[in-house]
Amino acid sequence: MSALLEIDDLRVTFGGTAAVRGISLTVEKGETHCLVGESGCGKSVTSLAVMGLLAKGGKREAARLSFAGEDIREYDEKRMSRLRGDRMAMIFQEPMTSLNPAYTVGSQMTEVLRRHRGTPRAQAVDRAVELLTRVGITAPGLRLGQFPHQLSGGLRQRVMIAMALMCDPELLIADEPTTALDVTVQAQILRLLAELQKDLGLGILLITHDLGIVARVADRVSVMYAGEVVESAPTAELFRAPRHPYTRGLLSCVPVPGKVKRGDPLGSIPGVVPRIPPGFSGCGFRDRCSFAEAACAGPLPRRDVGPAHEALCILPEGVPA
Amino acid sequence: MSTPAIEVRGLRREFRASQGLFAAPRRVVAVDDVSFSVPAGSVLGVVGESGCGKTTLARMILGLMEPSAGEVLVDGKRLDGMDRRARARLIQPVFQDPFSSLNPRRRVSDIIAMPLVAQSNVTTSEVNRRVAESLERVGLSTEQGTRFPSQLSGGQRQRVAIARALVLRPRIVVCDEPTSALDVSVQAQILNLLAELRRDLGLTYLFISHNLAVVEHVASEVAVMYLGRIVEKRESEALFRDPRHPYTRALLDSVLTPEPGLGVPDVGLGDIMPDPANIPPGCRFHPRCPACFAPCAATTPRITSLEDGLVECHLAG
Ligand SMILES: Nc1ncnc2c1ncn2[C@@H]1O[C@H](COP(=O)(O)OP(=O)(O)OP(=O)(O)O)[C@@H](O)[C@H]1O
Ligand SMILES: Nc1ncnc2c1ncn2[C@@H]1O[C@H](COP(=O)(O)OP(=O)(O)OP(=O)(O)O)[C@@H](O)[C@H]1O
Ligand code: SF4
Ligand code: SF4
Ligand SMILES: [Mg+2]
Ligand SMILES: [Mg+2]
Repeated sequence: MSALLEIDDLRVTFGGTAAVRGISLTVEKGETHCLVGESGCGKSVTSLAVMGLLAKGGKREAARLSFAGEDIREYDEKRMSRLRGDRMAMIFQEPMTSLNPAYTVGSQMTEVLRRHRGTPRAQAVDRAVELLTRVGITAPGLRLGQFPHQLSGGLRQRVMIAMALMCDPELLIADEPTTALDVTVQAQILRLLAELQKDLGLGILLITHDLGIVARVADRVSVMYAGEVVESAPTAELFRAPRHPYTRGLLSCVPVPGKVKRGDPLGSIPGVVPRIPPGFSGCGFRDRCSFAEAACAGPLPRRDVGPAHEALCILPEGVPA
Repeated sequence: MSTPAIEVRGLRREFRASQGLFAAPRRVVAVDDVSFSVPAGSVLGVVGESGCGKTTLARMILGLMEPSAGEVLVDGKRLDGMDRRARARLIQPVFQDPFSSLNPRRRVSDIIAMPLVAQSNVTTSEVNRRVAESLERVGLSTEQGTRFPSQLSGGQRQRVAIARALVLRPRIVVCDEPTSALDVSVQAQILNLLAELRRDLGLTYLFISHNLAVVEHVASEVAVMYLGRIVEKRESEALFRDPRHPYTRALLDSVLTPEPGLGVPDVGLGDIMPDPANIPPGCRFHPRCPACFAPCAATTPRITSLEDGLVECHLAG
């Protein structure tokens, strides 16, 4: 059996910027694969590339890009648009990119079902009400009649999540789905996704800055830096024994309740992500890495450093655990 | 006792939310009779559900929004009588979104200079000197001062927002989710910077965040809001060790610490969020409260004083 989503050696450039530089990952049916990494490392671009939604000027290449066993690299826009919102759904980082300000929430939600499934309007409305209720929206009937700008940020975010679930997708790509929400609502949404996963075998590619979410919901984690996956492992393994220097740094930045003394500085990684021109070689992290040496400017090995655990680094065992 | 940096008394704010052409507008009480004070040099963290009124409260304290009732005193002076320029010297905001809160067509140094220039009695050389000082304070280079916001990363833009807030050397800074758009390593840099500024300049912060671990790290006291009320306010250490209000407990239990294998907890609040236009009678939390008992649906709980703060719940009374 092939994976639900298979990405092999995905590359995306925008003119003089290499945004994604040879990413490979898979999402199995019923699995949650989390993608983490610093701002600008290429997480959103990766997801947009998979959905065939790159902005103008973005160029995509891949050795393989398959959904449910079918290679979608050569799909034209018509075939892709039939998949999107139906078997493959996406929750965007910026809610306003997927909500049209000119239409009510109700007409946008029902349109998804009508277009893909030909569902009659009354039935589509029932489905929309059901999903809005499940994402914790009071008075769903009222919300259906409202326009996106009449909703608070948190409500808009929940509408988007409900809309992505209208057609019972097989794959959900969710880009920072709960960032604007407080922790109780966040927990509710994450539980809903877990339920759908159990009931329907939904596969999820989840992009988030929040390592707490990663620890609690991911089966597998891929850590990105400067357009590459620098480390990938099953969740417990990654938190127990992070091997790449960047992953180490990332984990030390998280304030853990009860663990950091007030007033003590938090761990942080000095410096910023470099801009990577096409043709760049060697480790993208080397000007911030305390283990860097001359060899880091050359080709890097991708090594097995533990059970189902890979790191892209010259250190043979990664940073000692 | 010295004058508190911020004092609010009986603060209230209502909105009329239109429901389209034909329905009557609904009245939303976003902040409902809130009183508290923040001692100079301390950090009050404010947490609570999305839509519970945190931003509305912050905007009233900044003088950017008129209260429907009640008053705000900043450094002992009433906000409503205060000249705008005097107010700007006393209290400044840092908002969540470093993308939309900076003018994209102005250079960074001009953005930072704006509050100073608006003061009118400041010379150009003084402006330049203070802008340079602010840039340095937040760790930006002179060269970065010549760029446009779009040419900076998210974390650098948030530094610009902080530099702009500091250029008048205010006593108080109101931070509304200052790091929620940022990734963890940039978040750590910004929080460390805010802590350092407080130590060096003796600033007072009102610090709003959804991230409870961040609040625990920075706040000396924490106020928990629910549907427009402060339902618990305690010393930070006490609140996190021994939360007294059932909603505070639910919040703390919902925090996802980076510990694999524990899953996402169900804290028993039910799946339906409260409606701010339709506030329940009695205790406004009672339809969702796991600890709800006889008096809760009918009688509004009073504020109970504790040794280290206060709580509004029948269980504490
Ligand atoms: N339309 C575009 N044109 C040019 N460059 C782009 C475009 N979209 C993204 N990029 C660049 O590609 C890189 C990766 O961006 P991406 O949005 O994927 O980051 P991200 O990992 O999602 O970051 P964040 O955590 O901040 O959302 C960045 O350097 C970004 O500037
Ligand atoms: N201009 C407005 N017109 C109508 N209602 C408003 C307006 N501003 C805020 N509200 C309502 O007031 C309530 C409080 O909103 P506020 O923005 O203060 O919440 P918040 O606690 O900051 O939420 P979040 O955590 O999502 O930022 C919400 O119900 C909101 O819909
Ligand atoms: S390859 Fe070199 S620079 Fe890169 S993470 Fe490994 S040790 Fe550091
Ligand atoms: S007063 Fe009653 S309903 Fe309200 S929080 Fe306390 S126990 Fe719960
Ligand atoms: Mg992104
Ligand atoms: Mg807010």
